[in-house]
Amino acid sequence: MVIAGKDLRAELRGKETINASLSFSLVILLLFSFAFDPTAEETRAICGGLLWLVFAFAGALVLNRSFARELPNDCLDALIASPLPPSALFMGKVMANMLILMTVEIICLPIFGLFYNVNWTQQFGMLFLVLVLTTWGLTVVGTMFSALTVNMRLRELMLPTLVYPIMIPGLLAAIQLTTLLAVGEPLTPDYYPWLKLLAGFDLIYTLLGLALVDTVLVG
Amino acid sequence: MDSRNFTYMFYGFAAAWAVLVIYVITLVSREKKIHQEMDRLKKLIEEGSRK
Amino acid sequence: MREKITYVLAAIVGALLVSNLYTILLGLPDEANQGAIYRIFFFHFPSAITSGLCAFLSLVGSLMYLYRRNLWWDAFAVSATELTLTFGAIVLMTGMIWARIIWGIWWAWDARLTSTLVSWLAYASYLIFRRAIEEPTARARFSAVISIFTFPGVIISWKSIEWWRTQHPGPVISIRGGGGMAPGMEAAAYWNLLPLAVLALILISIRLRQENAQRLLDGFRRQAHEI
Repeated sequence: MVIAGKDLRAELRGKETINASLSFSLVILLLFSFAFDPTAEETRAICGGLLWLVFAFAGALVLNRSFARELPNDCLDALIASPLPPSALFMGKVMANMLILMTVEIICLPIFGLFYNVNWTQQFGMLFLVLVLTTWGLTVVGTMFSALTVNMRLRELMLPTLVYPIMIPGLLAAIQLTTLLAVGEPLTPDYYPWLKLLAGFDLIYTLLGLALVDTVLVG
Repeated sequence: MDSRNFTYMFYGFAAAWAVLVIYVITLVSREKKIHQEMDRLKKLIEEGSRK
Repeated sequence: MREKITYVLAAIVGALLVSNLYTILLGLPDEANQGAIYRIFFFHFPSAITSGLCAFLSLVGSLMYLYRRNLWWDAFAVSATELTLTFGAIVLMTGMIWARIIWGIWWAWDARLTSTLVSWLAYASYLIFRRAIEEPTARARFSAVISIFTFPGVIISWKSIEWWRTQHPGPVISIRGGGGMAPGMEAAAYWNLLPLAVLALILISIRLRQENAQRLLDGFRRQAHEI
């Protein structure tokens, strides 16, 4: 909690990560409009995929900064040496990243709806649940790998290479659910396996993250 | 034996064997490299300790 | 002694593979619809099981490394991962060739195929990751965590044919409630699984010895530099 507060305060003061990832997301949304006819009916069928690709890219930016921002002045070593347990440090980081990424998503969603003529408000409750679940899964996996790669030379390259293949089950579920919900259709029992997969993904990786964070940060 | 699609079946078997053979070749070449390196270092250490 | 056992086992494996090849090609009756191509199954399925088995061994190696902190287990995990990738490549290639005939396309993006490819890529990036870290214990620690994180994908791939409606055929093996095969054919599949799995173990043990030799070598190199 302390860590989450600290990270968020730092973020609010500088706003550098949020600004960077937000403008990056908007640029990608714009780029996609060149690849497809943004108002065509077919685009509706892939809107979940578009959204989550944007969010996954934006997420990689946020996650890259998460531990790297502690590198100057040896803040990371100080944090590890502090009496705070590593799992608390990890959860704090996850929560901060989650809030940052959620902010980006919530701002992007109306803009996406506007540009691509998608009526996303009708199923907003379920859509929000999917956003929260997926963002949680992405940030848990991503924060873990952010900690893994923080001391590497090729950090910016290594993180996406490692993280995306592992995220794919969660992302895939999110894409399926979002495509349905974003155009305002209710969930049918056909889609429950995806929801279960998403929840299971979150549960497994949260537990794994908590169990393994000690070995990653401390040794 | 039914001979329909026989060529593709042959490709499939060949692919499976080829992957295995390639892996074994990389194993052998790695073995060679390790041996060479080992000999080189042994010589180096011997020369160094004689001085 | 150990080398002799390896040679004897390898000889048995070779003999079994050749005799199986004879059974698969000439001993088994024809399949009604598919023609000769169905015989690919007797490589596809055993390789898939072997690949999954190697992924499991890699998980075991990673967990044991974190528990014991002995670099031997790290070497074991790498070796198992390499064999996972090798047999995974066989699975993907034979599957694609089969699909070209039966489905008319090389690749269908269904849950089984996609999840297998994703796991394969994840294990490949595990090996790439290892090259980027120099220090042995840090490398072992971090890659163990990555291996553990990658393993759930293997389970998803394994279970995917039950969880989703896939284009990939459902379970055909009777212990998974399939029962879509004649008993003789199923036995032939198991008979090919045995030598392939043993072959994987042999290759793992060879690769493991190399990895340990490499570590010794790095030690020597440091010693040589000091002189």
